[in-house]
Amino acid sequence: MSRDGDTPVETDGGTVVDDADSGSGSIGGPIGEAYRSLRENEFSVVIGSALFLVVFPYLLIEGMGMLNESLGDPGIGGYEGLASLVLIYGIIVIGFNLLLGYTELLSFGHAAFFGTAAYSAALLSSTAEISFAGFSATMPGITSPIAMLVFGTALATLLAWPIGFMSIRRSGVYFAVLTLTFGQMLYFFALGPGSGITNGDNGFSDVNVGSLLGMVDFGEPVSQFGALYLPVIGNFEIPFLVSLDYVPIEYVFVAVLFLLALTVANRIVNSPYGLIFEALGENEQRVEFVGLNVFRYKLMAFIISGAFAGMGGALFVMHESFIHPATALYWIQSGDFVIMTVLGGTGSLIGPVFGAFIFEYIANVISGATIPVIGEIGSLWRLILGAVFVFIVWVFPRGAYGALVDLKKFLVRAVESLVWAVRNPSEAPGAFTDWLRGVGRGIATWLRGVGRGVTSRVRGMLSLVGVGGGS
Amino acid sequence: MVLETAVEVVLNGLQQGAIFALLGIGLTIILGTMKFLNLAHGALYLIGGYAGMYVIRETTLSTGYLESIGVTTVGLGLGFAAAMVLVPIFGFVVGLLMERYVAEPFYDRPETDQLLVTFGLALIVQEVVKFLMGGSTFQPATPEQVLGISVGGPIELPIVGNYPQWRLYIVLIALVVIGLTYLVIEKTDFGLVVQAGTQDSEMVRLLGIKINRSYSLVFAMGAALAAFAGLIGVSFQTVSPQIGTEQALIPAFLVLVVGGAGSVVGAIFGGFVLGITIAAMTVLASQWAQIVLYAVAAGVLLFRPEGLFGSAEVGE
Repeated sequence: MSRDGDTPVETDGGTVVDDADSGSGSIGGPIGEAYRSLRENEFSVVIGSALFLVVFPYLLIEGMGMLNESLGDPGIGGYEGLASLVLIYGIIVIGFNLLLGYTELLSFGHAAFFGTAAYSAALLSSTAEISFAGFSATMPGITSPIAMLVFGTALATLLAWPIGFMSIRRSGVYFAVLTLTFGQMLYFFALGPGSGITNGDNGFSDVNVGSLLGMVDFGEPVSQFGALYLPVIGNFEIPFLVSLDYVPIEYVFVAVLFLLALTVANRIVNSPYGLIFEALGENEQRVEFVGLNVFRYKLMAFIISGAFAGMGGALFVMHESFIHPATALYWIQSGDFVIMTVLGGTGSLIGPVFGAFIFEYIANVISGATIPVIGEIGSLWRLILGAVFVFIVWVFPRGAYGALVDLKKFLVRAVESLVWAVRNPSEAPGAFTDWLRGVGRGIATWLRGVGRGVTSRVRGMLSLVGVGGGS
Repeated sequence: MVLETAVEVVLNGLQQGAIFALLGIGLTIILGTMKFLNLAHGALYLIGGYAGMYVIRETTLSTGYLESIGVTTVGLGLGFAAAMVLVPIFGFVVGLLMERYVAEPFYDRPETDQLLVTFGLALIVQEVVKFLMGGSTFQPATPEQVLGISVGGPIELPIVGNYPQWRLYIVLIALVVIGLTYLVIEKTDFGLVVQAGTQDSEMVRLLGIKINRSYSLVFAMGAALAAFAGLIGVSFQTVSPQIGTEQALIPAFLVLVVGGAGSVVGAIFGGFVLGITIAAMTVLASQWAQIVLYAVAAGVLLFRPEGLFGSAEVGE
């Protein structure tokens, strides 16, 4: 895609069409090539994500705080715990998307794995007396975060195996309902017969999170590591770290695990094994004809996603120090995972994390915001969430992340056609107005679609970014 | 003693089963005919329940947006007979609108998209109700009199002894509605089109039948049945914005999978099987009642995925 100035804008737009995932639109030349190879390199993906994780709490608290102040304090800042919470749900939805987005299996029962891990991690750390069916025991009180994480994840994974084994035999709606029934059985068990273990409707609060590797407590700020004593220089302060007095060690722990989860998922998706997941989502029969054991691969996708949900559940209970059947095991919680994943967009690995962010931000921050006419939003947050969710499913089938990618393409094309027009003044008016007309047509189609079916709306959106005609 | 309990279980089971069946029929004809999965079915139950409560009696609001702007008393106070006419009509209209503006654009999209958009819609309906009327619970809207007949208070039954009279009427009314629905689906031309549509909608279209209009009617009929189930529900159970997700949606899906997608007879059968199961378990081991309910559904799905009365292709 070299841009020597003689390529008309229209045909250049055409080359972007099928390359929906390249994201970079039509940036050409050596810079574009380098950018693309960087995108495809696992190492750079990890480094990029790590850099983002470092600035994420800063952006959330300082950035959103500044925005909040400039808007006259409607209550849309950020807060310390939110960064961890987003990443915890991020881990879950990355795994959930391996199942929903790649293998295309819609589970409505992942709360089972989330809740199992949460309860087992909580129980491991507590010294409570539990009893079930005449058998009673005292919990060991192992408070190491790593032990809690490993124990919770392991139990969730073990549970995912039989549930997956039974559910995978069915597809479509039946699969969704079957996973839901197993999840609900567990929910009602925790609420009723199993309340000797889970403390039932009162919730389980005997969660003790000890220090990490016997060294640092979860609640301590990162900034304490900002001041080092160096032999020659004496006391030395690392400016950035010292300023992070609101980032607790917990965040670092969660962020490292998030990075691990992302790396593992990225490795899976880009391996031949993950390719089979994707192929299963597209056409199960063909995969079977190739001679692969469909059942085994689907089961493995289910178990992996269950393990991710378990990891998230164990981290969640360490974060909240409280767990209740309604927040851990009820089917609405599974529905929340689905909402997050779809909200962000199932088309890419990182997309669902955007959904987790939007979801948690609405739930924890927007719910405290004040808006004109209605005033305090409070419990209305689920209404807003539902509206945002329906809007995104309706208008952006590829989710929020997909919409962002489209927007980026749109902007890249706008800048490029402008640059091209400036470089070629003789042809500029024609070419640029052509492009403008294309944008106009896209907007018009989209607006017309608002009154009609969703297909024309989607077509309008696509032609706006230059996919499938328009300009 | 045992006989007494058994009869009471059957009576309670019939009453719970009647509501389950009403919900299940609606869901199953919509799925069977249009291959459309409606997670907002519980929301229709919720709408029917609140509409029913307001038609039957006047209700005093203590929280919510309506209360905050000075509307403290809502409702028509027309009684149950009027509600039996108005609520299904209201549900029918809501169903028509829903088919036109929510379901139709999604016929060609994957079933997961249908699930997702209706799930979002269910959230919105529930939250709007909570916003307007407050999250508090209301007393059941049990009528004392319907069309001059006294329906409140207990009645002396041969074996059981005293039994709330209204609960018997519920079973009776529901059975009549279920019977009428059955006749419409099984004995009319409209029902024939619907049934043919469940088997092969493309072929029905090729025969020159305007199946799209039937689709709207089927959807609206399903919605009216769900709303009617809501009306019956609130006539003996407490009312809150969560009734749609907690009492209606999941049971409707369980009925669907037990009876088989697309089968009206299956939905009726499944509804009563699950109703009696839960009534029996409530007596035997109430803590395990819900678990056993789900276990029955899971068992059917595992060993007979097409449901007890369903055909294999629908819903896969």
